[in-house]
Amino acid sequence: MAGVRTRLLQLTLPLVRSHGFTRHALAQSVLALPAPHPEPLSDTAVSALFGEGDEARRTLIEAWLDEGRKQMRHAPSRSIKDVLAARLRYNESVVDLLPEAFATLVTPEGIPFVDPRPALSHAAKVADEACNVVNDQSVGPSWYARRTSIAAIYTAAELHQLTSPKTAEDFLSSLLESSTKVESAVLLRVVVSFKHSVPRNMCSEYCVLYMLIHKTRPRPRLDKIEHS
Amino acid sequence: MTEKIEKSGSQSERDGVQSYRGKAEYRNSDFGRFCDLSTFPFTRFTHSVTQSNQQGSSETKTTHFGFQTVPEEAKESLVKNVFSSVASSYDVMNDAMSLGVHRLWKDDYVSSLRPGRKGPLRCIDLAGGTGDIALRILDYARENYADRETSVDVVDINAEMLKEGYKRFKKTMYHNTPQVRFIESNAQALPEEQFPSNTYDLYTIAFGIRNCTSIPDVLKEAYRVLKPGGTFACLEFSKVNNPLLNMLYDQWSFSVIPIMGTVLAGDRDSYQYLVESIRKFPSQPEFAQMIADAGFATGGLHEGKGGAWRDLWGGIASVHTGVKV
Repeated sequence: MAGVRTRLLQLTLPLVRSHGFTRHALAQSVLALPAPHPEPLSDTAVSALFGEGDEARRTLIEAWLDEGRKQMRHAPSRSIKDVLAARLRYNESVVDLLPEAFATLVTPEGIPFVDPRPALSHAAKVADEACNVVNDQSVGPSWYARRTSIAAIYTAAELHQLTSPKTAEDFLSSLLESSTKVESAVLLRVVVSFKHSVPRNMCSEYCVLYMLIHKTRPRPRLDKIEHS
Repeated sequence: MTEKIEKSGSQSERDGVQSYRGKAEYRNSDFGRFCDLSTFPFTRFTHSVTQSNQQGSSETKTTHFGFQTVPEEAKESLVKNVFSSVASSYDVMNDAMSLGVHRLWKDDYVSSLRPGRKGPLRCIDLAGGTGDIALRILDYARENYADRETSVDVVDINAEMLKEGYKRFKKTMYHNTPQVRFIESNAQALPEEQFPSNTYDLYTIAFGIRNCTSIPDVLKEAYRVLKPGGTFACLEFSKVNNPLLNMLYDQWSFSVIPIMGTVLAGDRDSYQYLVESIRKFPSQPEFAQMIADAGFATGGLHEGKGGAWRDLWGGIASVHTGVKV
């Protein structure tokens, strides 16, 4: 049951370039079956399989985004830069359709305001997939910090791509070069939020900061620090 | 030439169980001129007769008739008797039992299908005797899309129910037009000469499939008569997921509805059967799987957006859809 529906979604993806993220594209999918239908799906059938109104378009957009994450595994190398660049290249064929697609995602029916969750989910999934592809070994707070920073970088690069597609990869590279600072800031925020487990004095917090900024330095002994 | 109730299949196929054959009433009416009821093999029985206490042999297939277990070949006649009994007060009783909510469900059901949006459709409505779904389909297409070409074949196994639908349509603009036909036939075995394969764009069945002896056979026939790309849509009572709502619903169903049947229709047992049959119907996931097993493409095995079904009023009723791909 879900297999046929998934198959139709896969057949619709190549049609996005010509028909857009539309119900019409979904209706045309049956014409690409091995035993093609004589005519496209009716509007009723599209609603039955993929949802009513814009819900069907959101289903198609989500399927397209899922396929984009799969394409990341075919990056030329296992570096974060190449994996994210591959994801940006996946956008190129439909970059002019993406603003409306993202707007459709964040404006669900029945809610009178923008819902940022789909956008955040998209960025988080791309970041997680990128870390899986490069076999990231981060644990603990670093796991979250790494993904948060990659999600932020990718989001910025993708937004840049919508307005200046040709410079998107260069912009991505420049962001990645400064990514360690972003990661450190996020890690600091995570650690500070757990400060209740650390003796509540300014010197202790200073030591944590010192540790973060100068990672290679040995950790100072807290009992030797004079209290101010 | 006005619409007539067409009978499908041979006389023997319509006889049902031989032991239930008897005299039938001939109604001297316009309806009777088009459909000779004296040829009908079944009569109305008291329910003490239909309560079978037979302990069938191991070879006898049994099925449920409400909470009773009956031989499979007997269910069709028993259900026929129920609906023959309730036909004349069917719509009134629906309003009383559901406090008018069934109208909202049916409106939601038809409007979600949007008949006529992308051109005229050829529709078939099974177990559609009184014609309320067919009328809604035609009205929706006409009022929203100025569509006067969409047509509906109203099919029911029960002539009494079809008679009520025929009377309803005589009051509308669709009477004596090619937009509606009334056909007496069995949803489990639609004759191929009258219902060719790959014919219809939309197959609807509302509050009828639970009364069929073999749901898989109904689904198989639905798949056959639909065109590739055609849509199957079923509105049926289903399982309530909320325990509190389920308790209230059970109280209403088993305490109030049979009493209403006694007071308003003089037929408690038929309405007792109706509420029992709802409890015996498969749950939403089970029915969705049956639809998929029949060959239809459906949404995911969950409720709501992108799902194979949509609950109405917490699952009191559900709309299941599938597409022939």
